[in-house]
Amino acid sequence: MEIHVDKDACVGCGLCVKDCPMHVYELQENVSVAVRPNNCMGCLSCHEICPAQALEHRGIYGARRHYIDIKVCEMLRKVI
Amino acid sequence: MSAGYIDEMHEAFHSDLVYRAEDIPLDCSPKPKDLEQTLHGLMKLNGLVIRSLEEIAGRGANAVTYRAGKKFGHEVAQYFQKREDVEGALHELSDLLRGQYSFEVWKPEDKEKFIIEENGETFIYLVFHDCIVRQTLRRNGLDQGGPLCQTLFGYVVGAVEEITGRKAKLEIVHTGPNACLKKLILK
Repeated sequence: MEIHVDKDACVGCGLCVKDCPMHVYELQENVSVAVRPNNCMGCLSCHEICPAQALEHRGIYGARRHYIDIKVCEMLRKVI
Repeated sequence: MSAGYIDEMHEAFHSDLVYRAEDIPLDCSPKPKDLEQTLHGLMKLNGLVIRSLEEIAGRGANAVTYRAGKKFGHEVAQYFQKREDVEGALHELSDLLRGQYSFEVWKPEDKEKFIIEENGETFIYLVFHDCIVRQTLRRNGLDQGGPLCQTLFGYVVGAVEEITGRKAKLEIVHTGPNACLKKLILK
């Protein structure tokens, strides 16, 4: 597992540090650092919680996602 | 309602199909891709049932859903070969359930074995990747970890009890959009 934190984007809020049950992140000089990437089980709740969208995970298993709203997606396809 | 519309509706439900009693369908009809709307309808309905159950029964909803899951787990696992090692049973269960739920036994890097003994408890961490429960909850904007998750708890506990004969309990450690970490406590 490879976790990349965009240091320029990270605002140092520490939400990922608090949220991760496996203590993957630590705040170092007001920036989040993935100190234990091998402890990451890929839940991606840090992605959901990060206000700066500064995180990137590589080598992760992407779970199936059926929870899209078909009608919303159809509308988006028309717009985009 | 105009007659034209009724004729159109009747036309849509008419075909030249000959259905014989001995015909056994070997495939889903229609193709899985065409079932997307059905799946979404089912997820929506399931979410609403759970939400209503929670509104009426309160915390009792958890007991109902846990019980339902446990029955399902016992039912599925009764055809498995009985074995004593929990680790092996979980591996087997994970392989067989791929599609509905996929999970792996997991351990933090500082642990040597998957079966962890800590503070007088013996447990195994399970990471649930693909999970129809999570899909349903997120589809309906419901919180993870509620009554619908109890079905999954019951399911795993029921299956483990059936295969190994050991009593177990499942606890949520963490939920996320892509995976959830759970702890299977062995008694």
